[in-house]
Amino acid sequence: MTDTTATAGAVKAPAAKRSGAGLNIAIGVSAVVAVIGIVLWAMQLSGGMVQTAMRNLDSWGLYITMFMFFVGLSAGGLIISSVPKAFGIKGFGGISKVAVMTSIAATVAAIGMVVVDLGQPARVWELFAYSNLGSPLMWDIIVLMVYLVLSCVYLWAQVQHEKGKVSAVALRVISVVALVCAVLVHSVTAWIFGLQQSHEMWHTALLAPWFVSSALVCGTGLVMAAVIALRAAGYLKLDQAYLVKLAKLLAVFLLVDLYFFGCDLLTEAFPAGSGLAVVDMLVSGPLAPFFWGEVVLSVVAIVLCVVPQLRTTPLMVVAALAAIAAIFCKRAQLLVGGFQIPNIDMPAVLTPFTVTNWEGNMAQAYSGMVYWPTPLEFGVTLGVVALGFLIFFLGLKLLPLKPQDQE
Amino acid sequence: MHLGMVIDLKRCIGCQACSLACKQSNNLPDSVWWTRVMTVGGSEMDTAGGTYPNNYLSYAPISCQHCENPACVKVCPVGATYKDPETGVVRQDYDKCIGCRMCMSACPYTGVRSFNWEEPKHYLDFATGDPDVPSHQKHVVEKCTFCYQRSSQGKTPACMELCPGRARFWGDLDDPESDVSKALKGREATTLLPEMGTKPSVYYLV
Repeated sequence: MTDTTATAGAVKAPAAKRSGAGLNIAIGVSAVVAVIGIVLWAMQLSGGMVQTAMRNLDSWGLYITMFMFFVGLSAGGLIISSVPKAFGIKGFGGISKVAVMTSIAATVAAIGMVVVDLGQPARVWELFAYSNLGSPLMWDIIVLMVYLVLSCVYLWAQVQHEKGKVSAVALRVISVVALVCAVLVHSVTAWIFGLQQSHEMWHTALLAPWFVSSALVCGTGLVMAAVIALRAAGYLKLDQAYLVKLAKLLAVFLLVDLYFFGCDLLTEAFPAGSGLAVVDMLVSGPLAPFFWGEVVLSVVAIVLCVVPQLRTTPLMVVAALAAIAAIFCKRAQLLVGGFQIPNIDMPAVLTPFTVTNWEGNMAQAYSGMVYWPTPLEFGVTLGVVALGFLIFFLGLKLLPLKPQDQE
Repeated sequence: MHLGMVIDLKRCIGCQACSLACKQSNNLPDSVWWTRVMTVGGSEMDTAGGTYPNNYLSYAPISCQHCENPACVKVCPVGATYKDPETGVVRQDYDKCIGCRMCMSACPYTGVRSFNWEEPKHYLDFATGDPDVPSHQKHVVEKCTFCYQRSSQGKTPACMELCPGRARFWGDLDDPESDVSKALKGREATTLLPEMGTKPSVYYLV
């Protein structure tokens, strides 16, 4: 690893000043985009969700895809920061607090994606007044809330620990609880889909562990990309050896995720029954770009992470972003794929509410991807993404997230 | 009491009268259909299945199956869709629905649940049908209620009234003397997607 660690550029002193101004600009830009997103969301609510591409037969779309995606992204930070503490092993060189900040930002964005998907957001209070504790969606709401609060508490405890106010034992206990909650939040998100017998693609016991592995992939990718960017901006110093460690970890997570994918495809396809349709749809059907996108991006990321000569800083950024993009492809496959194969596809009356492409017949509606988002959905989604960035940047500005010895 | 329906597919002529009766009685908004008559076998509505010269024309009216083990009720986070304990009818409370569409995703019977994707509009500028039908709301899920406003008063659902083939039977599945129980006797009956384990209260005579 010495070959790659040698490339770690020493952080130049003027970079720190520049990053202060850069951070303010970043906060301003993300705030403006977030506000535009809120305006578009208000348009969606007043003009009706008919402006989205979601319809009765494909009743979830980009918002729920991004919800899954953000829940996954929230994993990495918390797990990377809590595993070393929970098990008392060496960590990743002081990036723990920044990593948890990415978790907090991603969790807020995930909750934001659910809120913009609701038809009646003014009734969310009912979730607490009339909770149906049997609903996986209710489980997810509870676990996500706990997860968000716990991430904040964990971040606070780390800051307090550095000031000598919270004991190492207490911090370790919090990190164990946070770790359990992190695994739970991904499992429960998977169960929203996996417990539905109505969609063959989703109805598998593998879905929960698979969501955990996918979350580890994109979460680790996010932490890598974030700390490399922060190092380049002069916000923190980080020894290249830690990045190499993260890259190796990313490769392992990617391999596990691909292994689960392979297991699932084989189990679906082997009986050559109805599951074969799911595999066909992915491999050579309408979702093939997302399927092959995931496979190719994953393989590229693995190669970049395991070949020592390729573990240079720019290529590790490429690997991290490729891993994140691969998991996005996974989320899109899963969501659209669930609706792409209807249980009942007999011809009947088609109206503008029935399905996105309603003007032809059922076969035409399903000939390509059954769902593709409208510009409004992209705009609202961009607003929520900007909200996530805003929270992260505000954290960088206002909270003592730099490694302790570098302050 | 377990209210249920039996549909004799050999008597259904695919005239869509039940769909229209449902639409009118429940004052359904434009683009919303709670009961749809599906064409079995053909690629378009009202086209024959099979290959020439062995063709057939066959229909299946499909709406909410009012399952004994409803997937939708289990997943609704606020209990807006629920099973009426008196009658077994799966109902929907528009005032409670938060519009998350979890029920639409969980229901195996593709398309029987409908979301009001915009402010409900009507072709007519006055309400039609039964006077005590709850008014339709934007951004909530709705579906067949077994015409709860009628069935709770001992009347039959609207889709029964105009069926020219008399293909639909209605009544208490627990009562051996009811029309549904009698219709099921001696005939081969199926339910939709029995492998889903939802135990529908709608039976099809084949």
